[in-house]
Amino acid sequence: MSVAIDTPSPLPRGFGLAAAALAPAAIGGILATQFAAVTPVAVTPAIVLGVIAATSPALYIALAATGEAPRVPAVARAIAVALAAFGIALTGFVLPATFLSLTSISAVTSIVIATVALGGAAVLGMRRLARELVLESLSAWVVFAVWSIATLGIAGRLWWDLARELV
Amino acid sequence: MMIQEYTALETIDLLLRDRAKILATTQAAGDRDVMPMLRTMVATIAICMAIVGAALGTYRGGVQIAYAAVKLPLVLLGTAALSAPALTAIGVALGRKPRFAADLALVLSALAFGALLLAACTPLILLGRSIDLDYHRMILCTVAMFGIAGIAALRMIASGLAGEDALGWRAAFAGLCIVFTLVGGQLSWALRPYLVRPRAPEAPFVREVEGSLFDAVTQALDSARGIYTREAAPVPSRSEP
Repeated sequence: MSVAIDTPSPLPRGFGLAAAALAPAAIGGILATQFAAVTPVAVTPAIVLGVIAATSPALYIALAATGEAPRVPAVARAIAVALAAFGIALTGFVLPATFLSLTSISAVTSIVIATVALGGAAVLGMRRLARELVLESLSAWVVFAVWSIATLGIAGRLWWDLARELV
Repeated sequence: MMIQEYTALETIDLLLRDRAKILATTQAAGDRDVMPMLRTMVATIAICMAIVGAALGTYRGGVQIAYAAVKLPLVLLGTAALSAPALTAIGVALGRKPRFAADLALVLSALAFGALLLAACTPLILLGRSIDLDYHRMILCTVAMFGIAGIAALRMIASGLAGEDALGWRAAFAGLCIVFTLVGGQLSWALRPYLVRPRAPEAPFVREVEGSLFDAVTQALDSARGIYTREAAPVPSRSEP
């Protein structure tokens, strides 16, 4: 059975969740500067938070259906911790990504840099979520892997649409 | 053991002889305790890289000695400033305790060690100049020296993080390596040239903005596939040697 662990977060969770909203906006700001369009500043955090909000119930349902039945508050807490981890990791990438984008004259380079920063933080967030959920059985891992791929795929597609619109 | 017990020179000596002690001190120290170490490491990097830069500048001579002596410390210190926050952020995201000053001290200590190794290579650079080693061989030798110093610095960072045995230290190290490579590569690309041909009539402080290192690699890959974005390659003027 998977049970969300109760280790104290190294930073206040509020800080991490604020970072989860603000850091994607900052990454969107990099694209906004490059393309002289404000859309990415609002759309980037909307993609992150919207996709998580839309897909996280599915994770709970699928885990419960496979016999891995953590309680709803435990799963919600694990998702909040993972989202905070995503935000903090992305905050660490904002400075290098801004530097790399500002010193590039190619618009495509800026998109690649922003994509790598968001993707890297997302992978770290997923890794933290897996640890917080303490997945034990193979079926739980399969469910988590499928959910991760679907979530990253949906977010990636929306991000791709945004990038195409900008270019 | 607190780092304040050592003078700057003793700290540098420890960095060369007993890096395990430096790492242990960094791990045990609080944010305020590492401040003297941060100052020592920044000064070490600045002085050593200025010496290495000046040595590289002698290949052309003249004003290039001063230019390279100013730019190389900027590259290393700028890369550390832009990359160290990523190490802390990745670590915290994976459950590690937030220790920004200690992480910065670790990164700067490792870079200072690398800078000391490069400073030790200065006679080799000067030897290359004195035997008129050709430009491309000189470039290869320089890349090899920087490569060795870089690997030594990364090894020290890995030892420091492994010694902590904190959650996710491997991912934090891998992330730092990626960010460090990208930022360091781009910053050094933006501030080039360091090694200029002796025949070059002018030595610019920095070259015109030609895009990022990534742009240059992409363009080179396109050119290799026969895809060109300009009408013709620039032709050197007849007056140029």
